[in-house]
Amino acid sequence: MLQSLRENRRWQGFLLILPALLVLGLLLVLPLGLTVVTSFAQRDVDGNVIYTFTLGNYWRLLGFTETGWDDLYLKILLRSLALALQTTTVVLLLAYPLAYFIARAPQRRRNLLLFWVLVPLWTNFVIRIYAWVMILRSQGVLNSTLGAVAGLVDLPWQPLDLYPSQSAVLIGMVYEFLPFMILPVYTSLEKIEPALYEAAADLHANALQTFWRVTIPLSMPGVIAGTILTFVPVIGTFVVSDILGGRQVILVGNLVQRQFLDARDPPFGSAASIVLLGITLVLTLYYTRRFGLGEEIAAG
Amino acid sequence: MVKKQLWQVWIVGLVWLLAACGGDNAPSAEHAASECPAPNPRLEVSSTELNLFVWTEYIPQRTVDCFEEVYGIRVNREEYSSSEELYAKLSVGSASYDLVQPTDYIVNLMIRQGLLRELDRSRLPVLNNFDPNYLDLPFDPGNRYTLPYQAGSDGIVVNTAAVENLPQSYADLWKPEYAGRLVLLDDSRAIIGATLLALGYNVYTQDPAQLAEAKTKLAELAQGVKLFDSDSPKNALMAGDVDLGIVWTGEAILAQRAVPSIEYIYPSEGVILWQDNYAIPAEAPHLDAAYAWLNYSLQGDLFWQMLEEFPYTNPNLAALEYARQNHPELYTSYVESPITNTPSDVLEKGHYLQDVGEATLIYDRIWTEIKGE
Repeated sequence: MLQSLRENRRWQGFLLILPALLVLGLLLVLPLGLTVVTSFAQRDVDGNVIYTFTLGNYWRLLGFTETGWDDLYLKILLRSLALALQTTTVVLLLAYPLAYFIARAPQRRRNLLLFWVLVPLWTNFVIRIYAWVMILRSQGVLNSTLGAVAGLVDLPWQPLDLYPSQSAVLIGMVYEFLPFMILPVYTSLEKIEPALYEAAADLHANALQTFWRVTIPLSMPGVIAGTILTFVPVIGTFVVSDILGGRQVILVGNLVQRQFLDARDPPFGSAASIVLLGITLVLTLYYTRRFGLGEEIAAG
Repeated sequence: MVKKQLWQVWIVGLVWLLAACGGDNAPSAEHAASECPAPNPRLEVSSTELNLFVWTEYIPQRTVDCFEEVYGIRVNREEYSSSEELYAKLSVGSASYDLVQPTDYIVNLMIRQGLLRELDRSRLPVLNNFDPNYLDLPFDPGNRYTLPYQAGSDGIVVNTAAVENLPQSYADLWKPEYAGRLVLLDDSRAIIGATLLALGYNVYTQDPAQLAEAKTKLAELAQGVKLFDSDSPKNALMAGDVDLGIVWTGEAILAQRAVPSIEYIYPSEGVILWQDNYAIPAEAPHLDAAYAWLNYSLQGDLFWQMLEEFPYTNPNLAALEYARQNHPELYTSYVESPITNTPSDVLEKGHYLQDVGEATLIYDRIWTEIKGE
């Protein structure tokens, strides 16, 4: 038995990936399958799942109900998508120059700069978001600092009404996901051969042209990886919105959570999370195909 | 302003300090504080673990520490912040909790679903500790499944230093002058209930027409709500982010201790009342530890701490008696505060929620629409 194993390379390979397969099967495929099954099920008054096939949950989610058109849940989906798009855009605009700066810094300083980018991640993410509450609240750090400055230079001053608000949510989201964009963009910027810049200079490209035609195209894998790393988790997240937004709005993450914890409707919650999963998948696939960079992401 | 800033610098400094030297100092400090009362009676326990699933911020850490020390049992604590969450987790059946804290209206439902285990009264000498007013209530006649923990209300909290005309009813909260200054519990049943009371309806109505009306009414109020918070609404009140709203008894009194101008008003429609209880889930794996915990943690010489840390209405006469003899100021402030010691006319006029069955979906829908539009 052992002898044949030693000779059979296919079996060896299989044995090596077996632990990973088990983890994936138990922790990903099984729960996901259960969610899919539940999303086609029904519920009783007390919230117990009854396994009778129905498409009702999906119809309800998409707005087709017995009583007519109802776009409540679609609106919630759209709002989450819009917030994710907004966050990703702002994060990209902030992260790119920073990553560029780090990549162009002298080798020794680079590691220190990257270290600073990562330091905040040592603290629990919920605690960092609560720190933003402290900063943004009406008598918080930001307002008292600005107030003190305004007092010094004798300017009229109205405290900013930032917490809780949707602006605070955006600030928190951008803050939270910035490192996930900086790192991949930095990696691909850092990999660019300096010889390519020299070649561009030899061909009489000015700085702007070099940036536009050499740096940007070559950093695209990082940008795409970064956007996906930001966009995908942002769609489903609701902790930042709950804490900094004062729970005034419902995002699709809240919607799913409420179905399980408050509404006693697990089938509808499952359907909502499957639709969310589908949308994310389609968007990601389209995005990577559109820019034709699927392999580079895997590699970079 | 300057004072506030200093305060924040202090907090940051303190956190640093704690982080820096916490490792060395913590054990000795803990030891000094932990002269734990002896369990009376001490039960025979063979389990080595106890899994609690309880409300957030509701059990003093010292109670947990003492129980671990006295019985040598490890306590695992998980927390929830709404009754619905408790029900949802328990009804899935996978969890192995030994004790839960269901609120009145969810008890019925849990009994009906067979989620709770009948209590063995012979193992609960602690039963004698309770005020009979909190026993034998409609949600669990004869206390076959539950023991009272604490009670309270969802009343109106106001910072009188910031608000000129004090609201006297839930309906008053709709006044335009309060818009943008409100904090409400993030609890659909409580807030829709308050809206129903403001409209003059039953707090647990299942009538779709009345609920539709309540939705329209609540949508108006929601425009002026700055914050929905069930975890710690007192923080926003104390920090001045909001000036008034609907919160639980204990949140109001803790806010009042920090900011004396904060007051608690019982609305003229009759306040929403509730009672939290201990119950043992049907599948509890460590029954002996659960009974040991109930008897020990509800002992007067331990449970009195609730008056200090989580001051709600305390149904535990032994704890009150212990506080009267050993912590007279605390006892007096408890008895004299109309927030904790709810006046009897308020209790008479008050409303308890009930499970609303199929209408749960309507309640959820209202809540989703209020926040989803």
